[in-house]
Amino acid sequence: MAEELQSVSEATNYFRKRKMELRKKGGKGKKKQKGAPFSEKRVKIDNKMKKLFEKRARDYNSDNEDDNDAEPAPVTRAKRTSYGKDKPKSYGKDKPKSYGKDKPTSYSRNKSTSYRKEEENFDEEWADDGEEDLNEEIEISEDEDGQVQPGITKFIDGCNAFRLAFKKLLKKSASDDILGPVLSAHKNLVAEKLAEEDVERKVKGDAKKEKHLIREKGHVKPANFLDAYEKSLIAVATKGDPTNLVLTFFMGIMGLSVVKLFNAVNKAQHAQKGLNPSRAKDEKAIKKRRREVFFSELGKTPSQTTVSKAGASNSLEDDGPSWAPLRDNYMLTNPKLKDWDKNLDTTVEDDVRMPADSDSSDDE
Amino acid sequence: MGRFKSKNRKPFVKQFAKKTPTVDHVTGDKIPKSLVFSRGKIPGPLRQLQMDLRKLMLPYTALKLKESKRNNLKDFVSLANGMMVTHFLILSKTDSAAYLRVAKMKHGPTLTFKIHKYSLAADIVQSQLRPRCPPDLFKNPPLIVLSGFGTGEEHLKLTTFIFQNIFPAIDINTVKLSSCQRIVLLNYDKETKLIDFRHYSIRLQPVGVSRRIRKFVQNHQVPDLRSLQDVSDFVTKAGYGSESEGDDEAATVNLSSDIGRVNRASTKSAVKLQEIGPRMTLQLVKIEEGLCTGGLLFNEYGNVDAKKSENEEEDEQESDEEEMDIDEELEIEDEEEQEIEEED
Repeated sequence: MAEELQSVSEATNYFRKRKMELRKKGGKGKKKQKGAPFSEKRVKIDNKMKKLFEKRARDYNSDNEDDNDAEPAPVTRAKRTSYGKDKPKSYGKDKPKSYGKDKPTSYSRNKSTSYRKEEENFDEEWADDGEEDLNEEIEISEDEDGQVQPGITKFIDGCNAFRLAFKKLLKKSASDDILGPVLSAHKNLVAEKLAEEDVERKVKGDAKKEKHLIREKGHVKPANFLDAYEKSLIAVATKGDPTNLVLTFFMGIMGLSVVKLFNAVNKAQHAQKGLNPSRAKDEKAIKKRRREVFFSELGKTPSQTTVSKAGASNSLEDDGPSWAPLRDNYMLTNPKLKDWDKNLDTTVEDDVRMPADSDSSDDE
Repeated sequence: MGRFKSKNRKPFVKQFAKKTPTVDHVTGDKIPKSLVFSRGKIPGPLRQLQMDLRKLMLPYTALKLKESKRNNLKDFVSLANGMMVTHFLILSKTDSAAYLRVAKMKHGPTLTFKIHKYSLAADIVQSQLRPRCPPDLFKNPPLIVLSGFGTGEEHLKLTTFIFQNIFPAIDINTVKLSSCQRIVLLNYDKETKLIDFRHYSIRLQPVGVSRRIRKFVQNHQVPDLRSLQDVSDFVTKAGYGSESEGDDEAATVNLSSDIGRVNRASTKSAVKLQEIGPRMTLQLVKIEEGLCTGGLLFNEYGNVDAKKSENEEEDEQESDEEEMDIDEELEIEDEEEQEIEEED
C-alpha cells in the first residue's frame, strides 16, 4: 500500500517538477522532456485540473489511511528557492543509499507522517517540511524517469523491478568469484586454464621436492640432546670399551682410549723425568724404563716372542744415533703395506711396533 | 698505452705456500697427508661435508683445494705425488646414496664406504647449547680411536690399518698433551655392520673443584655474589650439578704436565668430549686393490661379480707382490661407473 501511495505521489511530483524545470532551467528540462514525450500535455494542466486529479486519486485510494500529495500550490512556491540549492547535494550523497535499502521504509514513514500533518494543519512550516520530503521524492522519480514513463502501474513495476535488481546487484559482491567479471562463455576456458596451471605447478613442485630429497639423502639433523647411543660412543672414546672384549686401537697401541692414552703418556713421560735423553748415559736407562712402563700400561707381561722381537728391533736400533735424522732409515720407516695382513695376523706384533717407535724418539 | 702501464705494474710474485714438513722431525716418521675431494657432481650438503672432512683432516691436508669438472683422478694423483700426499678421501654421490672412498696412495687399496647418514659440523653446532671451538683446535692432528674392529675379519683389519695411518702416529714419550685436542672415533657395530664416525673435541677440567670456582678461575669474571651472605659462602657452598659431572672415576686422568692455567699436573682432571662434527654412519661396501681400480678384495654384497673377483682375488694375492712392484703406472679410469655397477 505504501508503495502504491508513493508511486502516485511520485507521479504527481514528477509532473510538477517537470513544470518547474521548464521554468527554471530551460536546457536541462528540454532534454528531459525529449525522453518523456507525454509530459508535454500534462504540464499544461492548470491548478484546477490538478486538484481534480488529486481528488480522484484520493477517492481511488480512499480506503487507505490518507491521501498522498500535500498542498501543492505553496509547496511549489517554496520549492523554487530550495530546489536549486538542494539538488546537487542530494544527488551526490543520497542517491545510492536511498536506492539500496532506505528508500521504502523512509518514504512510507515520511509520507504517512508528513502528509497527515499537512492535512491537519496547512501551516507554512509544515508545508515546508513536507516540501523537503517532496524534494527527495522528486529527485528519485526523476532518476527513474527514463525507463518507466507511460502508466502509473507500469511505473510501479518498473520501479520495483529496478529496485530489486539494484538491490541484487548491491548484495552481490564481486570479490567472491575468483575469476572476476568474466563472460560466462569464457569462464570455462579460464577455469580450465587455471586448473591446468595448478596441475603443472603441482607436478613441478613434486619434481622439485624429489630432487631436494635426493640432494638431501642421508643428511640428518641431529637431536638437541645426547641420546643413549651417542653417550655410549663418547664413553667408548673416553674410557675404551669395557663391556665387550674388542680391540681398541690407538695409534698402533692396543686397548687405549683418551683416558688410557693420557695415563700412558703420563707414565711414560713421568718415567723419563730427571733424565736427559740426549745424554748417551741416560739413554739406556730411559729405554728400559719406557719399555717396562709401556707393557705395564698394557697390562701384559712381555711374552717370549715379543721380547725376542723387541730385542731384535732394539738391537737393530741400538746402533743408530738417537736423533731420528741421523739414522740410516730416516724417512724410510714406513710400515710396508704389502704385508698388512701378515702384520696384523698376530696382534702381538702390533704391540711391538710401539716400543720400537718410542725408542726412536729421544730428543726433548 | 699498454706499454706504459705495464712498466708501472708490479711484477707478479707467486706466493708459495708455507711448506709443511713431510717428516716428523722428532720421530722421523713420515707424516701422512691427505687430500679430500669429490668426484662427479655432488649436492650442496655433501659439499659442506667435504669441507668438514677437510677441516677434520687438518693440519696435513689441503683446506682450500680447488677442483674443476675437468679434473680427473690422474690430476689428483700427480698433485699428490708432488705434495707427498699419502691418502685420498673421495666423496661421490649416486642416486641411491653418497659414498666415501678412502684410498692409500699410490697403489691402493681403496676402501669404499656407503654413507648411510651424515650430519654436518654446522648441524652439530646448531644442536648444541654451547658449541666449543677454541682457536687452536685444528692446529694439531686428531687422535683416532677404532673400536669394535677386532672381529678378526680381514677387511676390518685392513680398515683399521688404513685408518691408523691416516693421521700421524703419536709417540707417547714426546707428545704434548696440550696438542691432543681432537679425537676421531670409529666404532664398528657387529650386528648392523655399520661404522659410526664421530669427531670430538677433548676438554680437560679439574676434578674436585666446585663448579663455581672452576668457572671463576676459567672465565676471569667477577662472580655474582648478590645471593650470598658472606664471601666464604662462595667457596664453601656447593653448586648443584657439579658432582654428577665429574665424579666418574674412569674418566679422570693424571696429567704429566700442566695444561693451561687450570689443569695442573698435580691435580686430577676429567676428560670431557664434546662433539664437533661431522658425524657419519658408514658401511664398508668394498675394498679395491688399487687406487680406485683393480680387483676386489672385499665386497659387502657378494653378488656374482664379487664371487668371481674373489676367486680372482686369491690368484691375485699370490701374484700381488709382483704386481705391486711392476705396476708402477696406474690405470686410472673415471671410477663412477664401476662403482655404481657394483653397488646394485
